Amino acid sequence: MNANHFNILSNKIVFLMLTILPVGGGFVYAFLYSIGTIGILNNGFTLSHWVNVLTDTSFWFSLGYSFYIAIVSVSISILLALTIVLFWKKSLVSNNSIVSYLLYIPLCFPAIVVALFSFQVWSKSGLISRIVSHLGILTEITSFPDLTNDTYGFSILYSCILMITPFFAILFSNLYKQEQIDHLKNIAMSLGATKTQALFKIVLPVILKKAKITISLFIVFVMSSYEIPLLLGRQNPQMISVLAIQKLQRFNLNDIPQAYAIACLYMIFIGLILYFLFFSKSSTQLSVSPLKRNFDD
Amino acid sequence: MTNQLLDIQNLSKAFEDEHILTQTSFFLQESKTLSILGKSGSGKTTLLKIIAGLEKQDNGTILLENNDITTLSAHKRNIVYLYQDALLFPHLNVFENIAFGLKLRKINAQEVKNRVTKMLYDLELQKHIHKMPTQLSGGQRQRVSFGRALIIQPKILLLDEPFGALDVDTRKQMQRLCKETLKQYKITTLFVTHDLKEALIMGDQIGKMQSGVLKTFKNKEEFLNDPSTGIKEEIEFWKNIHANEE
Repeated sequence: MNANHFNILSNKIVFLMLTILPVGGGFVYAFLYSIGTIGILNNGFTLSHWVNVLTDTSFWFSLGYSFYIAIVSVSISILLALTIVLFWKKSLVSNNSIVSYLLYIPLCFPAIVVALFSFQVWSKSGLISRIVSHLGILTEITSFPDLTNDTYGFSILYSCILMITPFFAILFSNLYKQEQIDHLKNIAMSLGATKTQALFKIVLPVILKKAKITISLFIVFVMSSYEIPLLLGRQNPQMISVLAIQKLQRFNLNDIPQAYAIACLYMIFIGLILYFLFFSKSSTQLSVSPLKRNFDD
Repeated sequence: MTNQLLDIQNLSKAFEDEHILTQTSFFLQESKTLSILGKSGSGKTTLLKIIAGLEKQDNGTILLENNDITTLSAHKRNIVYLYQDALLFPHLNVFENIAFGLKLRKINAQEVKNRVTKMLYDLELQKHIHKMPTQLSGGQRQRVSFGRALIIQPKILLLDEPFGALDVDTRKQMQRLCKETLKQYKITTLFVTHDLKEALIMGDQIGKMQSGVLKTFKNKEEFLNDPSTGIKEEIEFWKNIHANEE
């Protein structure tokens, strides 16, 4: 074994130890806890915690609710980001423009800050409510609709959109430049496409297919978000991370194995999504690694 | 006897204070190829883009078959502009790329299939029908790009240094294939190149772009004898190559 091979092997081992080992270790610990083989209050092997979780509607509601929040917020963010890129592409491509600087600002705020900001804007005693009340549109401040801790997760969606849209706008503008979309559009028009046909047959499919993996990863990211739904969500349904953490930290210690079972199920679910994203044939043909895409430029 | 297909009259274009085209006029005969030589920045690409409708001229008129198309939008001109890079649509395979223009014209599926299959055969691309652009070599991508343009039978094909990114051997092959295919499909072409030899091989007529003005030559002899083309120097260089080494 020469020095080069040794270096490559040692790098791989270090990489695995830093990435796979902690996650894998956590998963094994959670799994063993959930089947009762470890944990101070557990009495030996049992599948009852898994059965409880799988037969409990709150788990499935949480999973569905998380999926709903993720799909809606990512879809709206994609629409907004595409609009920004298509209307301000010249400003975005020029890295020194004000628009490109403004886009970076929301990326600096952590999730908890955005959640607090959304609460201050959309709650019954918040900014919008006060403005509307002062304008005389509402008779009382309390008659302002529930837009925080509400059933449809309005303020959760708002916060997620606020955080994701700038990221997508930067991603799409980089793709626009890198894939020479203006030239492709010119060719399409030269071949007989109207501006609308060029948009729907070339511009949008090229950008969205190239960004497919990143978009899917963002759906996973939003599904797993914790701080925003903790502050702005309802008790029922809860997003999956909030549900798992509440079961883990509640006074009933017998719920802890269920929390670990939820975490295991969620990891399996995410693992399956990642498997289809990275190893299915069709996904590897067009999409490019999000890391490469975002940090190459 | 050939007909005059394209008539360019006094085209001018400036970007801010920089004059790119100055009162450029020429005409192009049907089913013929006009090679345009010129340095970078001499206004060749701008001229082609204006003819394609992808750029607006400041002044001047463009007549296609005696119809004024100066203000007509790009998609209605039936003039195809091709870049130096093949620029295939990355989300479509070879078949779909070539069929793109036909599908826009709502031609029925069987007819599209027949015409694309014939085009693939003419361009020696039959084996690659289901491949994505990333699975093709540079020469193959350029052939698909040609096929995509030729299949809609454009009135005029505008080629902007189409072989500039290819290696010497592929370039030769492409010149041969392109010339044969253009002749077979009777396509009128404007061919922009830096390469003197390529201009002579590809063009029935030759023009030279200098400082925003296009000078066209009546025939190849006039082009060869004009000192401003630099072709005499080129011939002398190759004649005396051994003498130069000594």
